[in-house]
Amino acid sequence: MIKIELETGGSVWKVLTKPGDQVEAGDTLFILEVMKMEVPYEAPVSGEVTSVHINEGDAVEEDQLAVEISD
Amino acid sequence: MNWKIETDEIVRRRRLALDQGGPDAIAKHHKKGRLTIRERINKLLDTGSFEEVGPAAGTANHDENGELTGFDPANFVLGFGKVDGRRIVVGGEDFTMRGGSPSPAGLRKSVYAEELAVQYKIPLVRLHEGSGGSVGGTSGKAQSLPGPVNAPARFRSVAQAMATVPVATAALGAVAGLPAGRLVASHFSVMSKSTAQILTAGPAVVARAMGEQKTKEELGGWKVHTKNGTVDNGADNETDCLTEIRKFLSFMPDNINQLAPVIDCEDPIDRTDETLLNIVPRDRRQAFDMRRIITSVLDQTSFFEMGAGYGRSQITGLARLNGQPVGVWANNCKFLAGSMTTDGAHKARRFMELCETFSLPIISLVDEPGFMIGSQAEREATIRHGTSAVLTAAMTTVPWASVMVRRSFGVAQAAHYGPEGFVLAWPSAESGPLPVEGGVAVAFQREIAAAPDPEARRRELEEQLAARQSPFPRAEALGVHDLVDPRQTRLELCRWVDRVQHLLPALLGPSNFFIRP
Repeated sequence: MIKIELETGGSVWKVLTKPGDQVEAGDTLFILEVMKMEVPYEAPVSGEVTSVHINEGDAVEEDQLAVEISD
Repeated sequence: MNWKIETDEIVRRRRLALDQGGPDAIAKHHKKGRLTIRERINKLLDTGSFEEVGPAAGTANHDENGELTGFDPANFVLGFGKVDGRRIVVGGEDFTMRGGSPSPAGLRKSVYAEELAVQYKIPLVRLHEGSGGSVGGTSGKAQSLPGPVNAPARFRSVAQAMATVPVATAALGAVAGLPAGRLVASHFSVMSKSTAQILTAGPAVVARAMGEQKTKEELGGWKVHTKNGTVDNGADNETDCLTEIRKFLSFMPDNINQLAPVIDCEDPIDRTDETLLNIVPRDRRQAFDMRRIITSVLDQTSFFEMGAGYGRSQITGLARLNGQPVGVWANNCKFLAGSMTTDGAHKARRFMELCETFSLPIISLVDEPGFMIGSQAEREATIRHGTSAVLTAAMTTVPWASVMVRRSFGVAQAAHYGPEGFVLAWPSAESGPLPVEGGVAVAFQREIAAAPDPEARRRELEEQLAARQSPFPRAEALGVHDLVDPRQTRLELCRWVDRVQHLLPALLGPSNFFIRP
């Protein structure tokens, strides 16, 4: 199980995945907006998205768990 | 009558010293997944290269007839050895004896480590696992006499070592008190994520003084100290820590009077990477991967990042360009837009001091939006720490090449360019006093408010000003040395490094300033 945690706080701009999706390593999972920059988070591995813990528009904090992937 | 009895005793004492804290203490240590100090030293060094200093130091035990019954070696192992064929000084506490808390001879050997490195002018590696003194004194019995007023200043050699030779340290178990102070007094430090904690004071002292109940890991584990800059890097285990130290040393000269070793480079200087043409998105709001640019432009697989977990808006490390060791500094727009934060500025300052100390040219990849702003940044005194980085850059004497990759704004951008530095601009470069979005809103506040369609006027002004921030007018005014196709960046930087080669010998010796923790 791969846990994707947030590097920084910010707001969630787009969520591009949902539980059950098959993703390839390098696919963009979601995009944060931090200091007016769009920061994409990519899947570090290929696998199935098992859970998504963020929603578009959420204010989020550093280290928060965002997505889990089973590889 | 010869001296056979005595030479036999030397052999016996040597053998007893190798027993360290005894088989039980060693087994206990191994069970915790940790190596003994002698195993660590052997693992770090080229096979068979260890030459011990002071192996006879320690306490001999005798029976009533004066016969030797045992020998407790000093619990700090010290000596010379070679790493990749180059001589270094290496030392570390023996945790199997007294938990690494110094015995009298152990303390003497530990403080000798820096002095030896300065005297022989070779790098120092310390492998720490131990604590400071105890109120019982180093003898464990009555307090010995305190040092006299004319004793040499205790920490002078520690500071001198940092100004003279490369110092690399690893925390491989719990490191507390004096060893923790010496751990951070280094140019590169790494801690083992699986076995190390770094503590100014341990849980018992903290509980007694402050009523705070915390474990060693909670107080000073890797999650705390790789993020706050106490150590530069975290590695999974002891072996990986030693690998990182060897890698760090590979970029370093033996001392400040020598140049860093240039190696043959198999990576062609005219290697081009097509992905650099579109790595920076045209949409200025979209982030990109600066590390991808670093690894593409520099000699392949040469980039050694230091401090990735700390001051994360800035990326610092060592690498090679056509075989020449260089310092690399870049902004990471994925973290707080790459802005200069308090911790980012501290990291950048230390990085520049490292390069200045060892005469390493600096490659700067610039995407600087400015000092971090907002109430937290104000509380953290960002302007003071940021300005410290700016003035450090202004006082450097090493050659700089700066590549304007995207943004270069505000006072903070000045930290990314050295005096008389070589400056290249990518087509995506934009520069000015501050990014247009914020700048237009402030400078044209009234005009925008008075316009029939304020939003349209704001956009119009932003577009006009963004055009002025393009690198073309800047190049027309010789504001940069050249505009460069991103794919040609490696070639241009390799040519530059070749041009500055002959300037480096004149930089040797003590620098304007040296690195402090």
